[in-house]
Amino acid sequence: MAAKSVVREAREIHLAIDLIKLGARLQFLEAETCLSRDRLISLYKEIKGVSPPKGLLPFSIDWFMTWKSNIHSSMFYNIYRFMVNHGGCTRITALIKSYQLYLEQAEQQGGEPVLDFTRAWTLVRFFDSNMLELSTCTRCTGLFVAHAHDPQSGYVCVLCRPPSRAGKSRKVNLVVPVPAPVAIRGSKTVSASQWLADVMSAPRA
Amino acid sequence: MSETGKSNEIGDLNLTYLLLAQRLVKEDAATAMFRLGMSRELADLLGNLSLSQIVKLASSSLFLCRFRFDDHPILSVLTDDMNSLSLQQAHAAILLSGQRVEMFQ
Repeated sequence: MAAKSVVREAREIHLAIDLIKLGARLQFLEAETCLSRDRLISLYKEIKGVSPPKGLLPFSIDWFMTWKSNIHSSMFYNIYRFMVNHGGCTRITALIKSYQLYLEQAEQQGGEPVLDFTRAWTLVRFFDSNMLELSTCTRCTGLFVAHAHDPQSGYVCVLCRPPSRAGKSRKVNLVVPVPAPVAIRGSKTVSASQWLADVMSAPRA
Repeated sequence: MSETGKSNEIGDLNLTYLLLAQRLVKEDAATAMFRLGMSRELADLLGNLSLSQIVKLASSSLFLCRFRFDDHPILSVLTDDMNSLSLQQAHAAILLSGQRVEMFQ
C-alpha cells in the first residue's frame, strides 16, 4: 500500500510540474492534483523561481466573447474537444496536449497566445458546467465559443463577420490583455510594433 | 514532364507523408491524430506498418493523402484576400479541428 502511494505521488508531482511549466495558477494545481498546498507552493517556487501569484482567478465569461479572445478560445476548445472525443485522453491530459498545440498554432500565426493556461482551464470548466457552448457558424461551418442558451439560428462567427473596429485596431490588439505564459520576450526576432507593445504593457503588469 | 516523372514525384510525396505520419503517431498518438485528422484505428494501423509495407503502399501514381478542405464555402472563406494572414491561419485551424475525422467506413 505504501509503495503504491509513493508511485502515485510521483505521478502527481510529475503532472504538477507539467502544469506549472505551462503556467497553471495555484488554484488550478490544487483542483487537479492531490498534492498539499504547501508542497505545491514549494514545487512552484522551485520551477518558476518565484512565489505563486496571489489573488483570485479570472472568472469572467464575457472575456471569452471579445473578438481576439473568442478566436483564440475557439481555437483551443476545438483542439480540446478533438482530444477528448477522438484522442481518448483524460480531461487533464487533453488539457495539456491541446494547450501545447494551441501555443504552437498561436506562435505560427505570429502572435502571442492570448489565452493563458489557467484561462484555458476555466474555459473547459465553463463548458463542463454548461455555461458556454459551441455555436456553428452559418457561413464557414466552424464551431465557436458562445454563451449557452443564446439563439443558434443565423449565427455568424467573429471571423466571418469581424466587429467593425477589429481590423482597424489590429496593431493595438497586439497589446495582449493577459500576461503570456511563454517568454516570447526572450526570443531573438522582435518586431518594432511588438517591442512597442511590450513597453506599453510593462508598467501595468 | 513525362508521365513517369509525375508518378515518381507523387510516389515520393506519398512516401514522405507516410513516414512522417508514422513518426508522429509513434511520438504521440493523440496529437498526431489531431494533426492528421484521423481516427484512432487508422492512426494505430499507420503506426504499425512495416517499412516494406510503407514503401509498397507509397509507390503509386495516385495520392494517398486527401485534400482536407473539400467544401466550397470553407475554401472561399479561407482564400478571401481581405483577411490578414494570421486571421486566415486561425480560421483554418478552427475549421480543420472541428472537421470530422478520417476513419474506416
